[in-house]
Amino acid sequence: MVVRPRVLRETVTAQRRELTVASLFLILHQACEAMVPVLVGVLIDRAVRTGDPVQLLIWLVVLGLDFLLLSNGYRIGSRLTYLAEARADQRLRLRITDRVLDPRGGAERSRLPGALVSVATSDTKRVSTLFLALPFGTAALAAVVVAAIALLRISLPLGLLILLGTPPLLYLLRVLGLPLQRRSGPEQERAARAAGVAADLVGGVRVLKGLRAEPAAESRYTVTSQESLAATLRAGRAQAWYQGAVLAANGLFLALIALVGGRLAAAGSISIGDLVAAVGLAQFLLGPLNVFSRVTSALAQARASGDRIADVLTAAPAVAGGELHPASPTPGALRLRGLRAGPLHGLDLTVPAGEILGVATADPSVASALLACLNRETDPDDGELELDGQPLNTLDPAALRGAVVVAAHDAELFAGSLRENVTAAAAPGFDTTPALRAAQAHEVAATLTGGLDAPISEQGSSLSGGQRQRVALARALATDAPVLVLHDPTTALDTVTEARIAAGLRELRLGRTTLVLATSPALLAACDRVVALGADGVTAQGSHATLLHEHAGYRELVLG
Amino acid sequence: MIDRELLPTAGGARVRAELGTLLRPHRGRAALATLALLAGAAVSLLTAPLLGRIVDLVAQGRPAASVHGPVLALAGVALGQGVLAVLGVYLVTRVGETMLATLREGFIAQVLRLPLERIERAGSGDLTSRVTTDVALIGDAVRDAVPQFARSAMIIALTLVGLAVLDWRFMVAALFAAPVQVLAARWYVPRAVPLYRAQRVAGGAQQQQLLDSVGGARTVRAFRLGEDHAARVARRAEDVVTASIAAVRVRTGFLNRLNLAEYVGAAAVLVVGFWLVRSGTASVGTASAAALYFINLFSPINQVLLLLDDVQSAGAALARLVGVLDVADGRGQTEPLQPAQPVDGSVKLTRLGHAYPGGPDVLHDVHLDVAAGSRVALVGASGAGKSTLAKLVAGVHRPTRGSVRIGGVELSEQGAAPARRSVALITQEVHVFAGPLADDLRLAHPDATGEQLRAALATVGALDWAEALPGGLDTVVGGGGHSLTVVQSQQLALARLVLADPPVAVLDEATAEAGSAGARVLDTAALSALVGRTGLMVAHRLTQATTADTVVVLDCGRIVEQGSHDELVAAGGRYAELWAAWHDSR
Repeated sequence: MVVRPRVLRETVTAQRRELTVASLFLILHQACEAMVPVLVGVLIDRAVRTGDPVQLLIWLVVLGLDFLLLSNGYRIGSRLTYLAEARADQRLRLRITDRVLDPRGGAERSRLPGALVSVATSDTKRVSTLFLALPFGTAALAAVVVAAIALLRISLPLGLLILLGTPPLLYLLRVLGLPLQRRSGPEQERAARAAGVAADLVGGVRVLKGLRAEPAAESRYTVTSQESLAATLRAGRAQAWYQGAVLAANGLFLALIALVGGRLAAAGSISIGDLVAAVGLAQFLLGPLNVFSRVTSALAQARASGDRIADVLTAAPAVAGGELHPASPTPGALRLRGLRAGPLHGLDLTVPAGEILGVATADPSVASALLACLNRETDPDDGELELDGQPLNTLDPAALRGAVVVAAHDAELFAGSLRENVTAAAAPGFDTTPALRAAQAHEVAATLTGGLDAPISEQGSSLSGGQRQRVALARALATDAPVLVLHDPTTALDTVTEARIAAGLRELRLGRTTLVLATSPALLAACDRVVALGADGVTAQGSHATLLHEHAGYRELVLG
Repeated sequence: MIDRELLPTAGGARVRAELGTLLRPHRGRAALATLALLAGAAVSLLTAPLLGRIVDLVAQGRPAASVHGPVLALAGVALGQGVLAVLGVYLVTRVGETMLATLREGFIAQVLRLPLERIERAGSGDLTSRVTTDVALIGDAVRDAVPQFARSAMIIALTLVGLAVLDWRFMVAALFAAPVQVLAARWYVPRAVPLYRAQRVAGGAQQQQLLDSVGGARTVRAFRLGEDHAARVARRAEDVVTASIAAVRVRTGFLNRLNLAEYVGAAAVLVVGFWLVRSGTASVGTASAAALYFINLFSPINQVLLLLDDVQSAGAALARLVGVLDVADGRGQTEPLQPAQPVDGSVKLTRLGHAYPGGPDVLHDVHLDVAAGSRVALVGASGAGKSTLAKLVAGVHRPTRGSVRIGGVELSEQGAAPARRSVALITQEVHVFAGPLADDLRLAHPDATGEQLRAALATVGALDWAEALPGGLDTVVGGGGHSLTVVQSQQLALARLVLADPPVAVLDEATAEAGSAGARVLDTAALSALVGRTGLMVAHRLTQATTADTVVVLDCGRIVEQGSHDELVAAGGRYAELWAAWHDSR
């Protein structure tokens, strides 16, 4: 893949100018920060030691200007930096969303939906962190340079000691921190388990109460919580040792600088102010040098995330080709010849325009394969599939889905009001009341505060399974599509409601091509014709009543 | 529907009292931790005067070797600081984490004891956010913010003392920065807290939107909603950018003001040093030490002030947890003095009626007699009262009117103790508990042997797939583990019922996501799980009714028909109509 490494570079070059300006301001800030101890040293030398008030005033003003510059440099620089980061994050997210929602599909192939969401959230976040790392890293570099120049000007040996001593010190600290890092991973995981188990138990509280298993759950949680505590304390002990070691190492290094600097000052090679400045700079240097190591690890993470994003953006489409549009108006006749897809080995089926056809199959994977082919989520491995005489693979997928609407049984509802969900795919101004009634979704609205305007949360999670199914069915019916394909639309519903829906469905779709994939007797009884489907094609066909009386396999399938 | 009534939040005094209770067992250790941190801060403050001493020695023209003493002392300070930090950090972690563990265990125990009705009223989202977000917020605070806050605060306090020891006028000079800092904090905190909250809300909304749009990509494509969803994502992303920029603005504004405070304080300390040295009251070394002291104060002061909002949100989170601890858990009032033991698995409902708080009656005058060991199917449209009836029999809700007797004993007289459980309810909710499969099953029967677990799985037809899992019954299932199909999860729920082994079982399971083939597998599993007990099942398919001893048809909260399947079909009533619709309506 040639395109791959470009995700990082593209994102960065797109915002080159903002990044450069932000870096310049942050460099100004760091340089001025480095100057603070230097200026304090100068002030002690020139004013405090001499007792000259004019010098005092001059250097206080200089120090004030330094503060003014550092303060505003940081303000402007960091605002620009964070803005660039937020924009980069946003841009990447939108690119991923566009790719995933592309009518030709393919981005989610071999990925769980959860993993794809995590690419769109966590991975974009990591890549955009570069926008923080680059300017702050550049500024840290500038700070090191300024401090180095100041130190070397004060004294060559002292400057060299600090400049050459600091990197090994930081390296030593990293080595000290390694066992901590190694330990903290698994231990943090174990510590996080307490939170996970707690959320899990609360999530299943109805199940626990139904079984009166509260005491069992409580004692299980206590065990997990105590295990987590023990793990946290082990990690805490390592953390304490690390922090102690850092303090001691820094302090010893400072003592070394004081020794060398003090001897140099006593010998008269440097002034007292220089000594104060050198000590201050040695402390200051630890900050920017630490930023370096963070930038390196951020870069490594960003690269891995960039690869994952590139995978999604460059994924091959699931269906190729197709520019034509279905005839308008669409009569809606379907013709399948020797269709092979997944478990289907050669299905022949003709659906005349306007027929309400029931399709009963015992094998859910047969149903899924058929559904995916009908709206070009995937193309069949072999065989012909035509809509009103036009081969499906010559049709533009988005245009096709305007004519053939497939309502999968696990179709999602989306955040918004009940009304918005139902009208989402309907033509503007289309009266959706008959669809709501046929799907018995008006009954759902009646039980919700706010009726049709009642808010539905993400994935429809605020509704019960039965309520979700009715709203989803209403949405499918409201598309008024020339060809409508419904898969198991009433499995979560009681028999009374199911019978009403079967009647409403027939009334609403009479004379329009409709495929109902189900094994519910009530739904199949409402169809013009029913075909029983196996992997090898149609095994029986006729009316529901006829099949029920004459076909034992069918009777077994729908009545259990 | 019922309006949400969120769980309560505790007041400040109650939170402090709870903290006191949590801290009491660890008083000694907490005191030691404070002492260690304090001593560590004190030792670290020796650095500046020692450096000042070196400056003085040099200023006095002493020989180079004279600096060795203070340098050795500096090395000692470094080591002392390190040792005290190890002790202090560890003890603080230990006290804080132990308190946190006690708090979360108490919280979960309390949540499990809450009446289900109360949880339903608040919405489970409220509880979940408290148990995840709030506990995590407090955990972060205990781990990072509180120790840092404490350490920085101590360093600040002791530095002021140190400055005063050098010369009291240095301390006064340093305090010149304080009014600026107070003003800055008063400007910042009230702005930052809502802004950070807005940032979290915007981030959460964006995450949810991505879950919706990216997770539901197939549906989006099938209904050609791509443009709409791209626009939704763009809107959420724009909200996130706006919120983060607003938060960064406030933060940098605050840091600007703190820079001003730093300058004011540093200038004041330097001026005082200049004046004291000129008047001969202090040495150049002392003035240098004071200046170094103050420069080293910059970062702890900024830390304390920037942590203010973390500490504040942890406090708010704590108030939400403590609030739940104080909800009446319904123990005591439901526990009768002498719990009665049901004699068998018969169920008798007399003049049963129910209304949810503030709502209309959903059940009227229900009479039902179920012989021990028989099976009843409840048939009716959504909203006919099937689920309410199921919950009343299972004792999840207390009836508004009438009585529920199990084995001749009033439900409320059996007490809440699980040892006396006579009814179990399997609800529509499919939940697989995260962890090994065997652990999930043992929730229903903690002492069950492996043999018993396998027998229960075999009863519901789940043993084959369970043993075929990568790790058999030890396979980690549920969130983060091996994911089970809807049918498998429901079979697991039925296996739990077999293990809990109550004389009466109420099944209100939905086969919604299972598809029609899965539904039949589950019907068979349910029948096996009910063998030997009284079963009350909400029928989602008419086939479930055909196998029941009695079919009860509900409409608008009343029983309208009752009898065996054959009787009701022969009677030609409402049930017969339904059955006809199934067979050959046309």
